[in-house]
Amino acid sequence: MKKPALTLTPRAVNRVRFAAILGVLGPGLVSGFADNDAGGISTYSVVGVRFGYDLLWVLLASQIVLFFTQEVGARLGLATGQGLAGLVREQYGVRWATFMISAMLVANVGSIISEFAGCSAALGLFGWPSWASALLAATVVVLLLTRGNYSKVQYLFVAVGICVSTAYFISALLAHPDWGRAASSLVIPRLAASPAYWVAVVATVGTTITPWGQAFIQSYVADKRLGPEDLVGERLDVGLGAFLTNLIAAFIVVACAAALWAHNETNATDVATIALALQPLAGSLTTVLFAVGLLAASFLGLGVVPLTSAYAACEAFGWETGVDWRWREAPAFYGLMVFFVASAALVVLVVPSSGLVQVMFTAQVVNCLLLPFVLVFVMRLSADKKLMGPLVSGRFLLSIGWLGTALLVVLSVALVVTSVLGT
Amino acid sequence: MLYLSQAIGRPVRDQHGEPIGKVADLIVAIGGRYPPVTGIVVNTNGREIFLQWQSVTSLDSGGATLRTSAIDITKFQQRPNEIRLKRDLMDRQIVDIDGRKVVRVNDLRLDEVEGALHLVAVDVGPSGLLRRLGLEGPWQTLARGLHREVPERYIDWEDVDPVERTIASVKLRVPHQRLAELHPADLATIIDQLSRSDRVGVITSLDDEAAADAIGEMEPETQVDILEDLEPARAADILEEMDPDEAADLVADLSEESREEILGLMEKDEAEEVQELMTYDEETAGGIMTTEFVAVRADLTAAQTIDRLRELEPTAETIYYVYVTDPDGRLVGVLSLRDLIVARPDTPISTFMYEEPVAVHTDAGQDEVTEVVARYNLLAVPVVDADGRLEGIVTVDDAIDTLLPQPSKRRLPHLFGRSGAADR
Repeated sequence: MKKPALTLTPRAVNRVRFAAILGVLGPGLVSGFADNDAGGISTYSVVGVRFGYDLLWVLLASQIVLFFTQEVGARLGLATGQGLAGLVREQYGVRWATFMISAMLVANVGSIISEFAGCSAALGLFGWPSWASALLAATVVVLLLTRGNYSKVQYLFVAVGICVSTAYFISALLAHPDWGRAASSLVIPRLAASPAYWVAVVATVGTTITPWGQAFIQSYVADKRLGPEDLVGERLDVGLGAFLTNLIAAFIVVACAAALWAHNETNATDVATIALALQPLAGSLTTVLFAVGLLAASFLGLGVVPLTSAYAACEAFGWETGVDWRWREAPAFYGLMVFFVASAALVVLVVPSSGLVQVMFTAQVVNCLLLPFVLVFVMRLSADKKLMGPLVSGRFLLSIGWLGTALLVVLSVALVVTSVLGT
Repeated sequence: MLYLSQAIGRPVRDQHGEPIGKVADLIVAIGGRYPPVTGIVVNTNGREIFLQWQSVTSLDSGGATLRTSAIDITKFQQRPNEIRLKRDLMDRQIVDIDGRKVVRVNDLRLDEVEGALHLVAVDVGPSGLLRRLGLEGPWQTLARGLHREVPERYIDWEDVDPVERTIASVKLRVPHQRLAELHPADLATIIDQLSRSDRVGVITSLDDEAAADAIGEMEPETQVDILEDLEPARAADILEEMDPDEAADLVADLSEESREEILGLMEKDEAEEVQELMTYDEETAGGIMTTEFVAVRADLTAAQTIDRLRELEPTAETIYYVYVTDPDGRLVGVLSLRDLIVARPDTPISTFMYEEPVAVHTDAGQDEVTEVVARYNLLAVPVVDADGRLEGIVTVDDAIDTLLPQPSKRRLPHLFGRSGAADR
């Protein structure tokens, strides 16, 4: 008999380590990147054009809040091994779960429409007609779904995220910004009394901290079967994700502020106009970079938003969990997908672009209304000792979390009130 | 017939019809075929009191009526086999043994069985969901107008397995007996759908053999997760029950720390076997072979060989061939089970064995093994080292695995599955 030895083929060892490292690094990063979807980029661009560097402090603030909400969401996933929708159903009953899912589905149709609109806007800059970009966007979603190998899609997401970051980083450099002013605005709030200023504040926070982002991080962590021992890696991941998300947002604001606002060009209201306006002031490369970044961000949103909401619905109602991933065996999941893609594509093709803004805005309002509920659920669940065990939120995390939640509730109510009064 | 959702929140009246509170929950005793209702939880002025079922005269969708007027508020002791229906089962995930999947409880159905109220079925269908949302009536009207029926789906309580965490609050040990009766492949699929702590709970409740069979059917990453979550001693016991080739693949994927700890806890023979198999490259005959085979000396008779087989009790996949080796362990012949049975009992096996049997070298690639198995229509092919010594066999099921596209089935139950799970 051969001498027993503990030598292994190198391949086996490497695979385990690779999985272990990437197994933890990911959820927060992907979630962070996906927060900067088409809606996010539009918002940041408009904020930069209209208010220059003044709102940069909001980004820093929302980065901190995002870190804590994502951290609590990830802890819930680590401790319970369940997604948010399933947990809400178990702890608060079927009515709350149904309310949350329904609102999330409505809001997400709006988000998907803005992803489609983002694709059209970006490709429109290269001369594509909107029907062609809608077709391309729909194809991408369908491919992601039917050929989707999600463990590989994860790398794709991170790659796309890096692509977006680089595009906007270079854009910011090309615009020759006033870095000193940018840095001081980041830490010193420059408040203004105008309603438009505060709507911009709410929009910025609202596009960063989203209900589906909260559902996403928890499902992702739970589905990766991460456990309490992964807490440190997860926190690193969430922190990095929150930091990068807002760094990109800051670059977008800075690029627009330097290229347009500094030259008194403050009238542009959508990202395509902004990208075109950048051309004479910051060079045509900036326009291309803006378009590429928007396109990549829209695709990222298309990959993440429909999946998250369909997944949450199936989880809460116990539909086709763990079935073979085939059409016939997962009718509700695919039904929701078809509904998302078809309705969003239809709206983009049929509704004129002026109406599209209204649709996207409505979706944003629904998101804002839903967010307080989601955050209250998350905070209350995370304080439940029986549920969380050693991962239960401590006094520090709870006070910060509730403070952030309270601020967001105030902001959400403010946005809804102003939008109702405004229209 | 009564649904739990119809009883919860209804008024509780004493014998004079005076309302004293609301139905908060029902208690059943787990164990029999259909768990009988043994108690009721009443909410009076925000306080929960427990009442024995004997003190309840009636319970329906109109509420409950009590036998007494004075409530005995002595502290009710929840017995270890009792669970609260609303708190512990409603909206939770359970395993549907018949459908072999994890579902969520929409409602619970209670029925009179032999004069007493029992939990008989779990409502997992759309009608239960609509009832909970208070939409059953309008929906039925709508459905009737469209000449359709609201789909109903119930699972008999007998075909249900509540997973561990669901009722962890009462420290009830769920035996998971029905789960253990499932085919290992189905059991693996179910366990794969559970959260991490539930998975360990279910595996812990199975016996070593059933656990080994189920784990053998799982994705490699899931296997590693489960083994690392189990008590090392239990993990070692389960590994001993697995085919050595499977065990070796699995052990190779463990973290170095767990690997050494678990191997140390395994029986010496089994651990050595696994360690030896781990030295081969996974893609070769040595990597996919098992060391469980039957080898005898050439001087035995047919009857002696059959006696030897009875002694060894080989597993199903290894019984079809008996290999013949010389004193140095070199492979010199092979017999099929058929040859042994049709031969006269006193015939020496050397007279009817196939000499110079087909064999592959330990370094042979998987493709070569598959080709040999296919060309000679073998159920297993022996694997020999450079000196011709018999080291193991590759059974046909392991050989054809390489022919199937990986993963063999498009099974992606997890949207955000562990990285690498589908890379293989």
